[in-house]
Amino acid sequence: MAATASALLPDPGRAALPASPAAPAGDAAGKHQWAFGVDATKCIGCLRCVEACKAENEVALDAHHFRTWVERYVYVEGVDEPRIDSQSDPVNIAASGSEQHYRFANRYQEEKVEKAFFVPKLCNHCTHPACVQVCPTGATFKTADGVVLIDHTYCIGCQYCVQACPYGARFFDVENRVTEKCTWCYHRITRGLLPACVEVCPVGARVFGDRNDKQSPISRFLAENRVEVLKPETGNAPNVFYVGIDKDVR
Amino acid sequence: MPKHVRRLILVLLGFGVLALTVRHFVVDRSFYRYGHYRADALAEIARDQPKFRGTAYCQSCHGAEYDAWAHSPHNRADGGGIVKCEVCHGPGAGRDPGHDYIHAATGPVHPQNLHLAVPTDTRALCSVCHEQIVGRPAQQRQIVIGDHAGAQQCSLCHDVHAPSRLKGAIAVASLAGSAAAGQRKSAACIACHGPAGVSAAGLLGPTLAGQNRAYLAAALAAYKSGARKNPIMLGVASSLSSTDIEDVASWFSSQKCAVAPGGAEQLAAARKAGAAMCANCHGANGVPRSDAWPSLLGQSGDYLKGALRSYASADRSHIVMSTLARGLDDAAIERVAAWYSTAACKRGREDE
Amino acid sequence: MHPDFTAAPYIGYVYPNETVFPWGVLIVVYPYLTGLVAGAFTVSSLYQVFGLERLRPVAHFALLTSLCCMIFVPTPLLLHLGHPERAFNAVFTPHWTSAMAMFGYFAGFYVLLLMVETWFVFRPHIVHEAQQRAGPLGWFYRLLSLGSYDLSAEALRIDAKWILTLAIIGIPAAHGLHGYVGFLFGSLKSREWWSSDLMPVIFLFSAIISGVSLLTVLYVLSCRLRRIPVDADCVKGLGYTVWGFLMFTLLLEGVEFGSLVYKGREGIDMILLFVRTRLIIPFFVLQIGVGAVTPILILSYLFWRGTAGRKLVAGVTLSALLILLNVIMMRFNVVIGGQEISKTGVGLLSYPWVFLGKEGVFAAASVLVAPMLLLLMMVRLFPPWHESEPPRAL
Repeated sequence: MAATASALLPDPGRAALPASPAAPAGDAAGKHQWAFGVDATKCIGCLRCVEACKAENEVALDAHHFRTWVERYVYVEGVDEPRIDSQSDPVNIAASGSEQHYRFANRYQEEKVEKAFFVPKLCNHCTHPACVQVCPTGATFKTADGVVLIDHTYCIGCQYCVQACPYGARFFDVENRVTEKCTWCYHRITRGLLPACVEVCPVGARVFGDRNDKQSPISRFLAENRVEVLKPETGNAPNVFYVGIDKDVR
Repeated sequence: MPKHVRRLILVLLGFGVLALTVRHFVVDRSFYRYGHYRADALAEIARDQPKFRGTAYCQSCHGAEYDAWAHSPHNRADGGGIVKCEVCHGPGAGRDPGHDYIHAATGPVHPQNLHLAVPTDTRALCSVCHEQIVGRPAQQRQIVIGDHAGAQQCSLCHDVHAPSRLKGAIAVASLAGSAAAGQRKSAACIACHGPAGVSAAGLLGPTLAGQNRAYLAAALAAYKSGARKNPIMLGVASSLSSTDIEDVASWFSSQKCAVAPGGAEQLAAARKAGAAMCANCHGANGVPRSDAWPSLLGQSGDYLKGALRSYASADRSHIVMSTLARGLDDAAIERVAAWYSTAACKRGREDE
Repeated sequence: MHPDFTAAPYIGYVYPNETVFPWGVLIVVYPYLTGLVAGAFTVSSLYQVFGLERLRPVAHFALLTSLCCMIFVPTPLLLHLGHPERAFNAVFTPHWTSAMAMFGYFAGFYVLLLMVETWFVFRPHIVHEAQQRAGPLGWFYRLLSLGSYDLSAEALRIDAKWILTLAIIGIPAAHGLHGYVGFLFGSLKSREWWSSDLMPVIFLFSAIISGVSLLTVLYVLSCRLRRIPVDADCVKGLGYTVWGFLMFTLLLEGVEFGSLVYKGREGIDMILLFVRTRLIIPFFVLQIGVGAVTPILILSYLFWRGTAGRKLVAGVTLSALLILLNVIMMRFNVVIGGQEISKTGVGLLSYPWVFLGKEGVFAAASVLVAPMLLLLMMVRLFPPWHESEPPRAL
């Protein structure tokens, strides 16, 4: 990222960023009710979302810390259980060539594959989040507009929330020594932008919006599809709604 | 109560008071305002600067590329794909490795102090979405990289901002001439190119029947100008006016070889012959799917080999063929030429 | 990029974030330490509250042991925390739904209780030393005496009342302190290996046996060091205690494991694979075979035969050592084992052993050794031995 003598370059002021809301976002109590949708029938496993999230949120560039990831399920003929891998599988890391960029390796070409698909995963921002329940300090919390956030200046780094999350969405940021997870790009959505992963998805597999707005993409997604959630038996009531997943999706 | 018990209780109470006092000064004022958390955290988190700026941000300076993209298949929601600028070029504001990421209020921003990456390895980048891998839904356009692109970069043939625009495609620049007039004017061509442009073994020239009209016209013009070097053709083309060239080209292109573009079986066979990449433009059996490309149907193996070698040696030059031909070794040229020379031009009902 | 983490290898499929274990050997040592606290306190209470005269030789020593361990209980946690300087956030703004927030208050209350009870128990000694000692040590005792040298019969009677009250309150306090650790694991929905209503009880009972065993070993050791004969009757009392609690602990662990297997919820296949392969040595051999069944057999035999004297002491001490192994293995198999079973239910990770650094084995071992060193110092400052004193009048 070398600085150039580009102070003379024009500043695209016309497309300037919307300002951060003047009032703290919590004042908009109940004004929005954010939710997320995933259409797994569309996902092509390009992993642009994973890379975009890492760029947008400055997540550690290695294969062990992800705010969002993609899983691939492959059903080989004659085998009941699917073969599951994600971008951090060593085979896929070898295909991408480094831990900082991600791609799925071209596997299973020699096998007779009956069915295969990709499933993007991220924090579900549950209505009854187990992680918030177990946080000893109140560093992680659910906002009035439905996002589960972490106060990085208050977290003590005990990692109890990492244990409590049934979905493996949380992790420990070794550099800042606090826990981290997907925030639905809170700094973007409060400016009227989309989360980075939704912004870059080329096939529209990720959907985001405000359930209070009946015309928002997510409201239409929920109205037009039969949706399900991951691990409903936990009682966490996730707010990421899936279309097109299978019985074996974990 | 004994003195020591009294004092113990005082010590414990004092400790309690101290703890509460410390708590009062340490706990943030905004805690408990909205719930069991520090309310100020919301605004702090929301203050982070977005890195991805959106396509409108790029448009303000990169209008030409934006326009190309906006009309391309990469900007078609109903077609199943919107590939925004920052997907390939990275975010408009970058990671700032030296900065505390928490509430990164500043960081390098393009164009002020951040170079955006211009991807050079398009093969690695484009195939991230377009490589045919298990699990990708059928509606996604996918290729087997080795077959489709050989060892080449995607940007060799595809305009990166409007990928359906292919480089080196033949543009129909002129109006068609008169085929009847062309027939009269092409009497002399029969000696080398065969009757009605269907060449045979022993004849000097390649088959012209059913060939792409614009390609023929461009070839004659190139011979005439000396851009393509051939002493015989130089002499022939020099005597032709531009009207003549159009007429002759129309005549030969109207002599359709009654052969359809190859299907899946022939594509598989072409793949085995190492001609999968050629088939993208020239078709599985030499009959291309569109007028953007010249036909290879009915050409002899020798002619094809010669053509490839001239591209490789820069005798002939074409934005795509030059690079492709240089990427083929002798054995590959032999195989590809052998494949395409197996299909012959069968004349339709127009002949005789 | 300096990776401050060690990634764990795995088989099957695990969530990408699971390859870094959140809790390591420090979190194995932590419940072990709190367990020793609760167990040692139980011994003290058996004497103070339930009047088990047999345990008189170790009663005050048990209190000191409990206190020394309790002082070091926060250490593994502080070493583990990402921001130990913010540790008091959990005390200033405790999130009451969190078992971990409860820790701040349980522990704080309990350490105060222990300190006060110890103070009352050793007050005669403190007062005596305050009046006799010179120099900084003298100041130390004078400070502790709170400026009162009252050792009258009335004062001592009131002291005894306080001791009894604190000992009674201390029983549920100690059990709450350690029971919540079990609840911390047992209340989670995310890990089948941990999620059980029996967890608090199992942790508690295994805590008691660890504390009693530690006391047995330390008492015998201290007698050797002081070159006095071991009170075999006291050791027999400790043996009875640990025997009874051990059998119940084994029953509880068996029920919990059996329940898990019987219910056979989703993910059980991977758990059973884990049990059949990885867990053979740590669980079946060390925790159950060597650490539980063997001491039960030894103790049963000793009591059935009516063994006495040196043979009894040797047998009970050996059993105590094995039980200490049982309990550390139990903590290890729960904490580490639970994280080795992936939340996906179709993957198994392998704990990456780290030796150096603040989360390494050496750090954890030091945390276990430190209370013993403190205890060595404490028994000098507050001698708990009173074989020469007449038995307490009931």
